[in-house]
Amino acid sequence: MLRESAAAQRGRSRQSRPKQWPAPAFRVRDWFADHRRAIAETFEFVSLRLASSLFVWLLVGIALALPAALRLAQLNFVALDDGWQGQPGLSVYFAVGAEADQLAAVEALLRESPSVVAAQLTDADQALQEFMAASADSSSLTAALEMLSDNPLPASLQVSVASEIPLEDLATLRAEVLQSGGVDDVIIERTWLERLRNLTRLVERLGLILGALFALGAVLVTAASVRLAIESRLDALRVLSLVGATRAQIRRPFLYFGVFYGLGGAVVAAMLLAITLTAIEVPLTELLGSYDIPVHVQGFGVAFLLALLAVGMLLGVIGALLAVRQRIRGVQDAI
Amino acid sequence: MSSIVFERVTKRFENGQEALSEISVEFASGSMTFLTGHSGAGKSTFLRLLIGAEAVTRGQIYVDDVDISRLGARRMPWYRRNVGVVFQDHHLLPEHNVFDNIALPLRIKHFAEREVSSRVRGALGRVELRGKEHLMPGQLSTGEQQRVGIARAVVGRPKILLADEPTGNLDPDLARSVMELFCQFNELGTTVVIASHDIGLIESMQTPTLNLTAGRIAAVNGDLNAS
Repeated sequence: MLRESAAAQRGRSRQSRPKQWPAPAFRVRDWFADHRRAIAETFEFVSLRLASSLFVWLLVGIALALPAALRLAQLNFVALDDGWQGQPGLSVYFAVGAEADQLAAVEALLRESPSVVAAQLTDADQALQEFMAASADSSSLTAALEMLSDNPLPASLQVSVASEIPLEDLATLRAEVLQSGGVDDVIIERTWLERLRNLTRLVERLGLILGALFALGAVLVTAASVRLAIESRLDALRVLSLVGATRAQIRRPFLYFGVFYGLGGAVVAAMLLAITLTAIEVPLTELLGSYDIPVHVQGFGVAFLLALLAVGMLLGVIGALLAVRQRIRGVQDAI
Repeated sequence: MSSIVFERVTKRFENGQEALSEISVEFASGSMTFLTGHSGAGKSTFLRLLIGAEAVTRGQIYVDDVDISRLGARRMPWYRRNVGVVFQDHHLLPEHNVFDNIALPLRIKHFAEREVSSRVRGALGRVELRGKEHLMPGQLSTGEQQRVGIARAVVGRPKILLADEPTGNLDPDLARSVMELFCQFNELGTTVVIASHDIGLIESMQTPTLNLTAGRIAAVNGDLNAS
């Protein structure tokens, strides 16, 4: 029988001995071998459960597609905005029958303004000639105009201003011009641009909020799928732990599941976007063509697709980490 | 070779049940010991504490003078790589064949595939399963599955070999051949601890025995320091 004194003696002698079990030396080759094995296991797992993997990819893809579409819309609104940066201005419409000296006074007022770059006056006769020329193929309209005793069209003044002029200054100039005699209305051509900018900001905000929500959805879908994968392999994980697999070795295949699900989801999202863009191309061309805006979808290029893949992969890894942190921790103790 | 020392080890579960009480025992390096006792005596808990699957409530467990009851989660795998464990229910991976099941500890330890192949075939020969390496566990009999479990436990040449009722599912002849296998590994220097209640088999082995009753050491037979 073991005596108390012997146990105490052994306890004293151990105080000077090493307390930790020695760790093996880290080798890069082993680290790569572990990753290679984890990737192979992931391929095997995913390929054996292709239907459920496709379902996860579809869910993640849908979750990624909407924020990606909003981002694409925002990019195109910005591009449209940039395309119109050099053309801000005012359109001054005179009252029908405005006198020539009134037109000259307004033109002089505008030319004196430091904001104005150029001003092009179109008097009522020029406006009528341009209109007649433009509607030459409509004989009934030409005949109707010829029957009128007076020119029904007003004179107008197209004013270009410097692109850096703020909207407030344009509004002040507009108010000043409106007070001049013979002026019927003044349109700030930048107004719709401001609306576009507001729309861009709205889409941006919406993109951020929906992006965060749908990203959370993608993370949760991945986390749930990885958790299911963990649950289905708990016995194997316990055996791995039993034979000395480290926590990193146990969780690594599941992180690759996250990468696979995220990447697959991003590919599905890219496909959904491509299909959507193809589907809306004709109606979009018709709609924008009526505003003389050329249709050219910007942003859906290699950089966008790479970013989509990176975001998908990142969300997949985050989802996998969530599942792994929740579930793997207890495996080592649950042999 | 590894020495194992339990110093006043107590294990109490969350429900208040005390599985082991103030156990002190020393297993010398290269020894072979049977752990006996009825169901619920604490044999499995004893082994689970030794592989770090349960935390001790009080006391220390030293293996080669390292207090493994205080090993963190980071160090525990390094320790477990030196321990081979055989369970009554085998714990084999059903979706891997015999070869891959046995190779698992070696691959975890990053052995080169050539070495893995050589060692696995050696272990298969020892447990008389040569030619069955490509079969799946489900295609094997219970006895063959048990021998795969033993081959997996010894293929990494562990310092310590633990077995929990390794002959529970085997017929007497097979049980004896499994015990002979354990003896062979012990002769190579492995410290072997076997939990079993097969009294007839234990008595025929002429090996030190630690008998547990209700979590306490009830009797010691053979060359063993215990209290």
